[in-house]
Amino acid sequence: AAACDDGEIVVKFSHVTNTDKHPKGIAASLLEKRVNEEMDGKMCMEVFPNSTLYNDNKVLEAMLQGDVQLAAPSLSKFEKFTKQFRLFDLPFMFKDIAAVDAFQASDNGQAMLDSMQRRGLQGLGYWHNGMKQMSANVPLLDPSDANGLKFRVQSSDVLVAQMEAMGGSPQKMAFSEVYGALQQGVVDGQENTWSNIYGKKFFEVQDGVTETNHGILDYLVVTSVDWLDSLPEDVRTQFITIFQEVTHTRNQEAEAVNLAARQSIVDAGGTIRELTPEQRAAWVEAMKPVWEKFTDDVGQDNIDAAQAINAAG
Amino acid sequence: MAVVLLFAMVIGLLLIGVPIAVSLGLSSILFLLLFGDATLASVAGTLFEAFEGHFTLLAIPFFILASSFMTTGGVARRIIRFSIACVGHLPGGLAIAGVFACMMFAALSGSSPATVVAIGSIVIAGMRQVGYTKEFAAGVICNAGTLGILIPPSIVMVVYAAAVEVSVGRMFLAGVIPGLLAGLMLMVTIYVMAKVKNLPKGEWKGFGEILWASLNASAGLFLIVIILGGIYGGIFTPTEAAAVASVYAFFVATFVYRDMGPLKDEAKPQSLLEFFKMLPKFIGQTVVYFVPSFFHADTRHALFEAGKLTVTLLFVIANALILKHVLTEQQVPQTIANAMLSAGFGPVMFLIVVNVILLIGGQFMEPSGLLVIVAPLVFPIAIELGIDPIHLGIIMVVNMEIGMITPPVGLNLFVTSGVAGMPMMGVVRAALPFLAVLFVFLIMITYIPWISTVLPNAVMGPEIITN
Amino acid sequence: MQTKHSFVDRIEETLIAFLLGSMTLITFANVIARFGFNSNILWALEATVFLFAWLVLLGASYAVKKHSHLGVDAILNMVSPATARVLGLIAAAACLVFSLLMLKGAYDYWAVFADLPPTSGRWFPTGFDMKARSQSFYEVQDVPMIGAFAFLEDLINYGDAYEKLPKVVPYIVLPISMLLLVYRFAQAAVAVLKGETDRLVASHEVEDEIAEVRALQGEHD
Ligand code: NA
Ligand code: NA
Repeated sequence: AAACDDGEIVVKFSHVTNTDKHPKGIAASLLEKRVNEEMDGKMCMEVFPNSTLYNDNKVLEAMLQGDVQLAAPSLSKFEKFTKQFRLFDLPFMFKDIAAVDAFQASDNGQAMLDSMQRRGLQGLGYWHNGMKQMSANVPLLDPSDANGLKFRVQSSDVLVAQMEAMGGSPQKMAFSEVYGALQQGVVDGQENTWSNIYGKKFFEVQDGVTETNHGILDYLVVTSVDWLDSLPEDVRTQFITIFQEVTHTRNQEAEAVNLAARQSIVDAGGTIRELTPEQRAAWVEAMKPVWEKFTDDVGQDNIDAAQAINAAG
Repeated sequence: MAVVLLFAMVIGLLLIGVPIAVSLGLSSILFLLLFGDATLASVAGTLFEAFEGHFTLLAIPFFILASSFMTTGGVARRIIRFSIACVGHLPGGLAIAGVFACMMFAALSGSSPATVVAIGSIVIAGMRQVGYTKEFAAGVICNAGTLGILIPPSIVMVVYAAAVEVSVGRMFLAGVIPGLLAGLMLMVTIYVMAKVKNLPKGEWKGFGEILWASLNASAGLFLIVIILGGIYGGIFTPTEAAAVASVYAFFVATFVYRDMGPLKDEAKPQSLLEFFKMLPKFIGQTVVYFVPSFFHADTRHALFEAGKLTVTLLFVIANALILKHVLTEQQVPQTIANAMLSAGFGPVMFLIVVNVILLIGGQFMEPSGLLVIVAPLVFPIAIELGIDPIHLGIIMVVNMEIGMITPPVGLNLFVTSGVAGMPMMGVVRAALPFLAVLFVFLIMITYIPWISTVLPNAVMGPEIITN
Repeated sequence: MQTKHSFVDRIEETLIAFLLGSMTLITFANVIARFGFNSNILWALEATVFLFAWLVLLGASYAVKKHSHLGVDAILNMVSPATARVLGLIAAAACLVFSLLMLKGAYDYWAVFADLPPTSGRWFPTGFDMKARSQSFYEVQDVPMIGAFAFLEDLINYGDAYEKLPKVVPYIVLPISMLLLVYRFAQAAVAVLKGETDRLVASHEVEDEIAEVRALQGEHD
């Protein structure tokens, strides 16, 4: 390929966001820069942003085919490989991003990285986007406010169940049509992180955004087991070290990116509603059936570990 | 260098008569096997991904189907009658009415050749009867038919939106003012020619004729309300609008106009009074024949014809997407972008280059396939230069319109020569004066972005994909 | 060559009509569900997309048979019949090469989802790659598992249940359609060889265009 020299191991990294504004895109660009500088002559990384090469539904297929070596889909894209990651989609499982961090660093979180090895994928680490917020074309303060509203969701059984638990009607549509659909009222609401709500300007076409922090939008950086095994020992070690340093740096920043996006929404005249502790308790209560439904998939021990972290923090 | 070889291979295969789809697909495969590291399996995956990963393309078969019902359903005839009633009495009246009818049909159909077939097969014969030359009639319709892809809905706009991931709804809105403007420019040109050459004009048949003709056409034209009202009124996405449009078109053709299906030999009302007298019987028959109409031979035929057109068009697009994938993997768009930006290209120069590429490409390629390849190449540069992606899209559509009426590959030329019964080179010559109008129009569209962007920005807010 | 409207034509044409009709009705039903009943058919979009892929891929071989693929015949019309025939043969060979390579790719791609070994070799199948990982576990996003495919759970998924349709089902259209494409291009190549025709693309003869227009206007048998 164009920029790589002969003899270098080429790493194609396909993702779906821009390269300089989105938390994932920034992290990918940083990884690319460091690998290409520090591993020059040994390894060469080519980043393909904006879904130009693969979208998140196809990229894992392509990885197993050997056509791409690195990808970072959101955790809900791994349902086909293991149902354990459904833990992160369960509403109100983690009280804040620090709890998510602590869980991911724990034995349970690290074991999940290896849980797809038999299907050929190796998790390298988690990249944060941030906590998800709920928005709609009417004020959302009590879960019953969502009754009868149509919400755009990703393809995920947990997120479908979550919207149904609120009395909402989950709808599926191409991401490029979401802004128009929210504006015209084809769907009434959606859930996303501050950075996505700001970046895609969804707040412009909603009554307001409720700061629910109800879920987590994180990405799992994965590679193929076979490819990782094929790397020479020293190259693999250096690559993983760089990866972990980048992960650490960017995860520290992700919260700041989201808070900046939140502030930008306020500055642009968007409405943000905060929940009182009582209102939040009502949301948590309404979501309880969702936990029960997926306990077998995610494992009671993982739920317990997450709750222990919430309680400790 | 290898990329030049790739394009040379595509053009070489095209010229010796290999189907466009195979030229694109085979060149991409050979290139990958020789210069890349991808496997044949991944090419097959990309072929399937053309559909799995581009939901918006789904609108194409639905708009083709709606148009298929509308054509078999005789909607065109009613639109033409309405349009003659409105403007037929002006100098050059029937020709102006032909343009007006093309504009209305363009608002029902997403394709230019379909517009030429629907309107041209009736209007060209009608124009010759009242004394126009065959050449003039063919030239008018061949050009006005290109509005099929500029006035929404539009298959080419759907393809552009899918290729660069912009909103189909915005693209459709952006086509409205340019479409009306282009139609108006054609009509004014005809009016002036008519004054100079003293072309025939029709007689004024009165407001009664306008009323009855508009009532007759209204069930068909209501489709515009469904498509645009449905999208911008928050009922459905553009893809769904297309599907609803085809169901509606089927219903109107079968049960309202009764031009096809189980009721096509039944009596039709000739006046408003007759219509009301027959209404109860109409409703009864609709109930009785509702389910059988789905399985009627006419329905199957319309579905099949639309399906066949979908197949040939989408097989080209799917293979063009394979080529697009190869170019992306080789980072060709970035290379071109960097070259252009470091050469100091500004927006003006860039848009000239885009127009030239598209005009040349349009001489060989079918519009949708060309767009799938060119759009991803120039899109990143356009964004970098601060050009509105919707504006860029409309420029591309207008280029495609011109490509359709210039040889050697010009779908509208082929179709017009068919419906007018004259050789293709004759159509080319006939289309020339109006082609000049389209060129002026292209320059206006290119350098006055306001024409394209004012409506989408007013209705849907400022564009969100910016530098 | 075939008679004008053979039994096989009928089957292919009905299949094309059926696939497009189903796509339309499923999408329409989803709109009614959402707008009329504030409900949803979550699998509608994905199912429609699969039917769309089936329509185009299976239809591609029909279009070869009916010479309706789009192409440029300007040069074929300019040169002598002998030259046109040579160009036609080269074009037919190119199409055959394309479809054969795609057939290998399509089988290899589909095989892992069917718990079968893909072929080895870059250009030509040189055997089977027994080390390739099975991906028979891989399900689609939204379309639920259908009872009729339950036999697949034991056959290829080692007894594990599927919640959603396994990908082996929609993707099977790839090897099937490419096999049909090889067959139709081979037939076309033979026709060119015998001198029955000199081109594979839609000829833009005026008579054909008029027939096309009539067909669109509803005259049919
Ligand atoms: Na149109
Ligand atoms: Na042309």
